Amino acid sequence: MTDLTPVTALGDATARQARFGALRLAERPDVGLASLALRKGGSAPAPFGLVLPGPGKAVFGEKASAYWTGPDQWMIEVPGQGTGDFAAALREVAPGVSITEQTDGFTVFEVTSDSGGASIDALMAKLVNVDPAALGPGRATRTGLHHMTVFLVRRSQDRLDVIAMRSFARALWHALSVAAERLEG
Amino acid sequence: MTRLTGGLIDRDTPLDFTFNGRSYTGFAGDTLASALMANGVDLVGRSFKYHRPRGVFAAGSEEPNALVTLREGARAEPNTRATVAELYAGLTARSQNHVGTLERDLLAVNDLLSPMFAAGFYYKTFMWPRAFWEKLYEPAIRRAAGLGALSLEPDPDAYDKGFLHCDLLVIGAGAAGLAAALTAGRAGARVILADEDFRPGGRLLSESDLLDEAPASDWVAAVHAELAALPNVRIMPRTTVFGVYDHGIYGAVERVADHLPTPGDGVRQTLWRITAKRAVLAAGAIERHIPFADNDRPGILLAGAMRAYANRWATLPGRAGAPVAVFTNGDDGHRTALDLRAKGVPLLGVVDTREHAQAFGDYEVFRGATVTGTRGRRGVTAIEITRGGKAKWHDVGALAVAGGWNPNVHLASHHRGRPVWNPDLLAFVPGADGPRGLFPAGAAAGQGGTGAALADGVRAATAALADIGVTAPEVTLPAATDFASAQAAFWHVPGKRRAWVDFQNDVTVKDITLAHNENMRSVEHLKRWTTLGMATDQGKTANISALAVMAEITGRTIPETGTTVFRPPYTGVSLSVLGGGDTGKHFRPERLTPTHDWAAAQGATFTEVGAWLRAQMFPRAGEDHWRTTVDREARAVRSAVGICDVTTLGKIDVQGTDAAEFLNRVYANMMATLKVGRVRYGLMLREDGHLYDDGTCARLGEDHFVVTTTTANAGPVYRNMEFAHQCLWPELDVQMISTTDAWAQIAVAGPKSRTLLERIVDDTDLSNEAFPFMACAELTICDGLRARLFRISFSGELAYELAVPARYGAALMARLMEAGEDLGVTPYGTEALGVLRIEKGHATGAEITGQTTASMLGLGKMVSVKKDSIGAVMSRREGLAAEARRLVGLKPVGDDAPIPAGSHLFIKGASRTLETDQGWVTSACYSPGVGSHIALGYLEHGDTRMGEVIVAANPLEGQEMAVEVVSPHFVDPEGVRLRD
Repeated sequence: MTDLTPVTALGDATARQARFGALRLAERPDVGLASLALRKGGSAPAPFGLVLPGPGKAVFGEKASAYWTGPDQWMIEVPGQGTGDFAAALREVAPGVSITEQTDGFTVFEVTSDSGGASIDALMAKLVNVDPAALGPGRATRTGLHHMTVFLVRRSQDRLDVIAMRSFARALWHALSVAAERLEG
Repeated sequence: MTRLTGGLIDRDTPLDFTFNGRSYTGFAGDTLASALMANGVDLVGRSFKYHRPRGVFAAGSEEPNALVTLREGARAEPNTRATVAELYAGLTARSQNHVGTLERDLLAVNDLLSPMFAAGFYYKTFMWPRAFWEKLYEPAIRRAAGLGALSLEPDPDAYDKGFLHCDLLVIGAGAAGLAAALTAGRAGARVILADEDFRPGGRLLSESDLLDEAPASDWVAAVHAELAALPNVRIMPRTTVFGVYDHGIYGAVERVADHLPTPGDGVRQTLWRITAKRAVLAAGAIERHIPFADNDRPGILLAGAMRAYANRWATLPGRAGAPVAVFTNGDDGHRTALDLRAKGVPLLGVVDTREHAQAFGDYEVFRGATVTGTRGRRGVTAIEITRGGKAKWHDVGALAVAGGWNPNVHLASHHRGRPVWNPDLLAFVPGADGPRGLFPAGAAAGQGGTGAALADGVRAATAALADIGVTAPEVTLPAATDFASAQAAFWHVPGKRRAWVDFQNDVTVKDITLAHNENMRSVEHLKRWTTLGMATDQGKTANISALAVMAEITGRTIPETGTTVFRPPYTGVSLSVLGGGDTGKHFRPERLTPTHDWAAAQGATFTEVGAWLRAQMFPRAGEDHWRTTVDREARAVRSAVGICDVTTLGKIDVQGTDAAEFLNRVYANMMATLKVGRVRYGLMLREDGHLYDDGTCARLGEDHFVVTTTTANAGPVYRNMEFAHQCLWPELDVQMISTTDAWAQIAVAGPKSRTLLERIVDDTDLSNEAFPFMACAELTICDGLRARLFRISFSGELAYELAVPARYGAALMARLMEAGEDLGVTPYGTEALGVLRIEKGHATGAEITGQTTASMLGLGKMVSVKKDSIGAVMSRREGLAAEARRLVGLKPVGDDAPIPAGSHLFIKGASRTLETDQGWVTSACYSPGVGSHIALGYLEHGDTRMGEVIVAANPLEGQEMAVEVVSPHFVDPEGVRLRD
């Protein structure tokens, strides 16, 4: 166990959380991320029992989740693996594919609503040019948000994960919190 | 107070406001225009050129005259149309474009000089002397002619943007729009109903027509309530759809807080980008006037506007009790007479241009007559009616003018849609070549009668929905009638006095005639020469009348004359809202390095590199010049050890059984032969053979590489590699993904770098034998943290780059500082980084500009001839291969002085021309290692001219200096140190 102390993408010792009316924002530094791409002509594995989803979709298993990021490419995520070597762990359960560590390549911001999906939809309308009706539970997409590229993963009606490049963490937190505050504050 | 009975104002909610410093009271539901009118204020502004007294002319966003500056201080908003400014308690407004008071404008003298200010006046008058234009003429003209002035203070309010999606966007909430929205809403379609007014209803609120034998506002309220209760319908009042863009995208501005004194914590306006599968354009129609002599006085209004003020706002212009006259060329004007009569307003009668015009009620009709003149200094007090050549003056308090209605074809004419002339309606209607998916309906489509508009709204919505596979239900419409609408083609009253066509720009019938005489025959030329149809109202009440006048002069028909091109925005849109609300620091998101906070805590200054903020230098107390800091940092690297965050360099993870072959094709030099555990410097070429980017490629495994790129090209190189894979060689088994952000990468450079790293790596032999120059490894540091170590050098010293998961970057930096304290470890920024690489002769973006070649860098042999790669063939083409400029070092001769980067290089004594130009200085700095200023540059045959003294010249700033050509490797030219 290293004696170096990690910080979150927002530069804090612990995950940042904020509440704006019915909307809650939470940084999820504990999520381990790795990209999985099939070798040419290879068949899709089922890491952690996940049936890797088709375009625009996400699957959520008990331990892990996956969302489609491109032809024969997915992002696999597991909570509680933020500081572990998640790519190595994934390699063990998914041999014969190309796996790249992405845990610190991105920052995962979880948006949850205490008042159902409408608040999430309203927040999306202020941030991304994606039809909320087309991003229901189990859907995922990549889009632009304030000049940043983000993944949006709709885990349920009342939960949306916004995943951006780690270096943009503060800019994304700012954009999310300003929009949430204007809607709910 | 001039208030009538009735109206849709809330008399229980009085609102105080001020105009030009005087206090007045209106009611909730008023606009500033209706409230001023109700307070007897008819003079509200001065005209653009002649400073003529002007009053409210229309009742909507087409208003040309009643422009005011709303609010004060930084929130002052010039050129706000009083007709759409919703009244709120505490509203303050000022009139514009006058010197002295509004009532006694000193510049009214311009009106007496009006013969001077004819069409094309500016173009003709201020030709000479030319030097006077900027200093004298333009400022004077801008002061004399114009609109309101900006506060020149920063906008204190927040703005916002957003994105909406729907099946059907309904633009306008009048009869047609409400019927369309109701149809689509009941069909279950996702509907957005946008209207620029604060109250839905459109003309239904302004006419006295009954729906199902009840006031139309009852039906409007019922429909509004039903739509508001439907979860699939979004009603957006105060929202102007200003443009139609590609692929069913509509631009709209929602005025969220313009009806409040300040937005408080909220936003003032929101810019909406609406993606609609289909849209119904129910934007209504705009009434036109009939130009006649002196037709611009306050108290002369469009007839429909007069009805709107009477019916909706219960007010009228002019002296209370004075009779009102109507001037019309058709039946529609008679509605104003009927409505005013119903309100008990005394009528002079209706002046109808038609010989056989009939009265629709108990009032006098002046048949076959025209208005040929008006009187009244600050408002009309009398009009001259001419019938059969006999003129007679009549006292009036106000005059309503009805010249017919122009369907609001603006949005339907975006995308170069051309409106089509309808000879029965005497108006342009939307053409068939307008934006796809936009269905005009109601008055906007020439179906202006109340019953016709309702039915047409249902028709348009039904057709639009059918287009996307939605079946509309039967909608029962309320019983309505269409008022008679016969009309004569009567466009203006001929005469010798000025008859205004475009009020906002002070363009008269005479100006149009003059423009024609001066050969401005195209309607587009007419517009530019006279400024007709320009400025804030874009000629909404003027354009068609002008076309008619022009057609008459030229002997062509109106459709032959044609319209000018319609472009967004439909009405003015503030730049603040177009900006989308991101200002200052948040205008563009910043990318921060993993050690950003650590660097900030050390007092670093930062510099922007693309979206990144990088530490520029780390000044210490007492260092009062940036050079002191940079020299110290650079010396520390040369003599001890320095550390620098280089995370921003692009990192692309490349895997797959064909990864080596793929990289061989992407890099100009051989990459497939790279051994596992080794790094190689690589060059990428553009398709045209020029240099594209450089970086390193590390082989972590047989089928696993990590490519690094320059910071600036991280995105483009990754994109190009994806393109090469997906489009050029899809047969290769390659997978790639960016990992730039995933790893914090720290350069550890200097003779003591190995000693420092040995103190933190776990059980890895870093000796020169075990880990030589260009080695790489995956290892652990600091008790088990996974890391990657690359022995590469940008500075020319013994150096490494150490990568750890980004969350540990700041801790690693602190640990290196702690562990290397006795070694003199020093953090360095991009400035010292630049000095070190210039001293070593290493290239960056200044040398790799897209116009330079590998040969120029002295790396021509790196472009392998044993294999093909992107750009390789083109790099050998004639001309490019003959390129003789080579990278050289440059040192001042004589006194040391900075060598200006960008200087061009010449033989001593040669003239300074393109022909004698021998190259240029790419990078320059002060070198603490050399002890003088140095530079890099490209010079013709530079590799064979060592020791020659040439001239670096910067003719732009009159600089020139003698410089000696030296090796570009000022430091350790044999490359001993980095291999040590």
